Amino acid sequence: MAVLEAHDVTKDFREGREVVSVLKGVSLAVERGEVVGLEGPSGSGKTTLLFILGGLLTPSSGRVIIEGEEVDPSRTDQLPDVRKRSIGFAFQHFNLFPALTAAENVEYALNIKGVRGPAARREAERLLEVVDMADRRRLRSRHLSGGQKQRVAIARALAGQAAIILADEPTASIDSQLGSQILDLFVRLARDENRAVLIVSHDTKVRAIADRNIQIRDGCLLG
Amino acid sequence: MVHLATKILLDDKTRFLTTVSGVGFSVMLVIVQVGIFLGMLENASIAIERLDADIWVTARNTPNIDFANTFPELYIQRVRSAPGVLRADNLIVWFVPVALPSGAKEATIVYAMEDFPRWRFPWNIAEGDPQDLRRGRYVFIDDSAEKRFGRFAVGEYREFLGLRLKIIGRTREARSFTTNPIAFLDYRVAQALAPLDLHNRTTYILVKLAPGADQEAVRTEIQRRLPHNDVRTKAEWAARSRNYWIENTGLGLSMYMTVFLGCLVGVVVVAQTSYTATMDHFKEFAIVKAIGGNNADIYRIIAEQATIAAVVGFLVGTALAYAVRPLMARMDLKMIIPEELIIDAFLGALALCLAASLISFRKIAGLDPAVVFRS
Repeated sequence: MAVLEAHDVTKDFREGREVVSVLKGVSLAVERGEVVGLEGPSGSGKTTLLFILGGLLTPSSGRVIIEGEEVDPSRTDQLPDVRKRSIGFAFQHFNLFPALTAAENVEYALNIKGVRGPAARREAERLLEVVDMADRRRLRSRHLSGGQKQRVAIARALAGQAAIILADEPTASIDSQLGSQILDLFVRLARDENRAVLIVSHDTKVRAIADRNIQIRDGCLLG
Repeated sequence: MVHLATKILLDDKTRFLTTVSGVGFSVMLVIVQVGIFLGMLENASIAIERLDADIWVTARNTPNIDFANTFPELYIQRVRSAPGVLRADNLIVWFVPVALPSGAKEATIVYAMEDFPRWRFPWNIAEGDPQDLRRGRYVFIDDSAEKRFGRFAVGEYREFLGLRLKIIGRTREARSFTTNPIAFLDYRVAQALAPLDLHNRTTYILVKLAPGADQEAVRTEIQRRLPHNDVRTKAEWAARSRNYWIENTGLGLSMYMTVFLGCLVGVVVVAQTSYTATMDHFKEFAIVKAIGGNNADIYRIIAEQATIAAVVGFLVGTALAYAVRPLMARMDLKMIIPEELIIDAFLGALALCLAASLISFRKIAGLDPAVVFRS
């Protein structure tokens, strides 16, 4: 069953007097346990699609259904709740809190999602074990290497039982070998933790590990 | 629970110290200025508070205890015979120039009575017996006069309006708002010093109520008997003496201005450092939103940081104010720091820091979490 669905989604932006259509009727579905790669050149609309699927933007038209619930495009105030409940992000530049340790970065995400106290601490340690970072949990994130930061960022994305992990160029800021390890980690998480993973990337290695690859060009999905 | 606000705040120690210094300086400024002001105001009414009188009869419209006017001393008989009066005595308060050994002249405020001990006045005696002031050319001078008169000792003489008086005692804490030194001498001697103004005249009548007497009833009766005088309770007279300096001089305004400027400095420093800190951590706030946080979560962070700055700044400022107090005392400035001032300073610092943080929050409220996807 799909946990993330987009039906005929469009997104228009107004630039002066002109209306630019960035997405032109995009439909897709991602299921639990599945890794989907989304690939496309700059300006193809993949980031806009990621924002809409992640509850950062609402579509101009079309429907987005997350874990069976349709996102009401007129209620932008509900988007934080959608993100809190269902979405975990992994960013190209990791975006960890530099003042926090690895464990605190994950624990803070759990706090935001309503998990507090010892339960949050235990869950943060479990998630760091899942991404093989348990032994670095007390290090401040600014003292971690790029690969380690991305692992912590992925652990944070997993926090709060998020059903959908959206990764934006997760291997772009780390070397090739570490990139492979990170991609393998996504596959393992999709299988072991039963999460849906959508990876937006230019990295050709994503094609090899993804269950499906989707191409996007000029706001339309190909194939 | 991870306290992101504290961690971010303490992560940049230089900025944290700047913020705390700003709040601390502001709090210190307010406490010191208000403390000195309260000290000066206490001087304005300390004699009224310490004299063992329940009711004061003054010349009409006398503005404060130092600026006394005269009226016939025989009015005392009308007061003594009023029901409910245990005892009543005349008191003269008068400015008198004193010739100093250096050849200079300084004004002093003399307090003159028939029987000082009966009114437990002066209240803090360092040397001598005030009973000995009676009918002699003697004087008690407060220690605080040394700054203006130079050093003096019991047994020496000083010339008050051409009359040589022997110093037979010293007091402490007897100050006036005007900072003129205070001297105590016999009632008749004081009248002899300024016969044109004081012959058969007094400046105040002090009234002690009989046990169980109704103060308001006695006051009304004395007022009826002396319709051309003012009759006030101790509390009213003390308040009038203090308010004179607040309302009729620039002192009150000056104090309010300093407090305002102190607060302004605090607000500006906190608002500025909070704003730049917020801008520096712009992306981190966007991350909070991207992972599901809302504006309330972000305001909690900013408000928590403002509260920490207020609390630490308040502690620093209060400690500095207490540290400054002995230095002020050395400069002959009394600083009074009541509990209410400390509580008000804390609440003020907290309110101002939270208000200052609103500026940062306004900037963050419309933050688009999508900025975290951009490098």
